[in-house]
Amino acid sequence: MDIQAYISSGKLELFVLGELSEREREEVLEMAKKHPQVKKELEEIETAMFAFDNQSGPKPSSAVKAKIFETLDNEVFEEKIDKKKNTTTPVVPLQPWKTYAAAASIVALIASVLAIYFASRYYQVDSRLTALIQDQAVMAEEVDQYKVRFQEADAQLETLLAGDFDRIPMTGEGFEIQQDARVDVFWDKNKQEVWISVNNLSSIDEDKDYQLWAIGEDGPLGIGLVSAGEKLSLQQMKAVSDAGAFAITIEPKGGSESPTLENLVVIGEVA
Amino acid sequence: MEEEQLIAGLRSRDRKTIEYLYEKYSRALFAVISRIIQDKDIAEEVFHDAFVKITKNMERYDASKGRLYTWMANICRNAAIDKTRSKEFSNAGKTNSIDDYVYGMASESGTSEIVDGIGVSELLDRLSEEQRFVIECIYFKGFTHSEIAEEFDIPLGTVKSRIRAGINVLKKNLEKI
Repeated sequence: MDIQAYISSGKLELFVLGELSEREREEVLEMAKKHPQVKKELEEIETAMFAFDNQSGPKPSSAVKAKIFETLDNEVFEEKIDKKKNTTTPVVPLQPWKTYAAAASIVALIASVLAIYFASRYYQVDSRLTALIQDQAVMAEEVDQYKVRFQEADAQLETLLAGDFDRIPMTGEGFEIQQDARVDVFWDKNKQEVWISVNNLSSIDEDKDYQLWAIGEDGPLGIGLVSAGEKLSLQQMKAVSDAGAFAITIEPKGGSESPTLENLVVIGEVA
Repeated sequence: MEEEQLIAGLRSRDRKTIEYLYEKYSRALFAVISRIIQDKDIAEEVFHDAFVKITKNMERYDASKGRLYTWMANICRNAAIDKTRSKEFSNAGKTNSIDDYVYGMASESGTSEIVDGIGVSELLDRLSEEQRFVIECIYFKGFTHSEIAEEFDIPLGTVKSRIRAGINVLKKNLEKI
C-alpha cells in the first residue's frame, strides 16, 4: 500500500475528528501500528488539533469550573467512597456487536413501521368489506321484495289474460269530492271475478275507508275495501255475478252495510 | 505529568488529578464547544455536562485507540453537536461562523492572551476559500464530513482532502500563533 497516499487521503484527520466508523477506526489503528509514518502523522495531527483548540478560544469562566467540581464532589467523589467498599467498576470495552445491534434495531424499526402500515391497511380493507357485505344484504332483501312483487304482478297478469274481463272505468267527474279520481274495474261475468286498478285516488283519514259497491238489481252490494295507496296494481275484490254499475264511497273504517251516497267518489256503468 | 500517570489518576478518581486535567485541557475543550455554540451560557452548560461525563466515563477510555485529548475533544464536540440539534436550542441559539467567532474572541479580551505571532484570526485567513469553508463547517457549525458532502454537493473525497489541507495549514502555522 502507498503509505503517502493513505496519509493524504484525509482519513487520519477524520479519525482525530472522531468521524470514522468503528471498522475504519480499527483500520487506522492497525496502519499506525504497522507504519511509523502513519503513527507520526496521526500524532502530529492530534498535537496540532490540541494546540489549535488550546489557543483559539476563551477560557471557560471560573463559575463553570466551580460548578463542575461541585457536581463531581456530589456525584463522582461520593460514588468513589461507596465503591471502595465494593469492587471496582467493570471495564466495558467497545463491543463489536454494537454494529449488529444497530443494524438489528433498524431492521426491527422498519419491520414495525411496515407492520403498522399493513395493519392500518388491513383495518381499512376490513371495514370496507363489512360495508360491502351490508350493502349486499340490503340488495338481496330488495331483490327478494321485487321477486315477490313480480310474482304477484305475473299472477295477476296471468289471470287477466286467461279470463274474459270487461273493463269498467269509474270516474269522479260528476261529484264534488274528487273530480279527478279514476279507478278501473275488471269484471269477468262468467267466473264472477272482480279486480280493480287505482289510477288516481286521494288518500283519506285513517278512520275512513274507500268501499267498492256492485250495484245490481238487488241494490248496492259492498264487495270490499279499496286501498288508495296501491296505485296501478290490481286488487282482487269479492265475487259478483250481477251488476249494472260499480261505485266507490267513503265509509267509516271497516266499511258499511249500505253506501253513504253523499260520499260517492266515483261511479262507472257496465256497458 | 505523563499521560499514563494522568489516566491512572483519573481512573481512581483522584481529585488532584482531575483538577490537573481541568487546568491542562479545559480551555481547549471549551474552545471545541464554544466554536459550535455561540451562546456562552449554553456553551458552558454543555461543557459542564461533557466534563462530568468525561470524568465518569474514564474507564471506557482506551489508550491504544488514540490520545486522551482526542477522546475528550470528541466527547465535547458530540455533546455540542447534539445540543445544536436539540429542540430547545433551535429556538434559543444559532451556530457560529468563523467571523462571529473571531469577532467574539476579540471582544472577550481573549486577544490579550495572544501575545506574539499572527493570531488565530490571521491563521484562519491563511486558508483558501475552500479550505476555510470546510473548516468552518466542521469546526464551527458542527457538520460531519459526510453531511458537508451531502449538503453542499461536494464529492466525499474532495471534502476529505480539503479538510486535510485545511488542518495542514493550521498545523504548519501553529508555532506562529
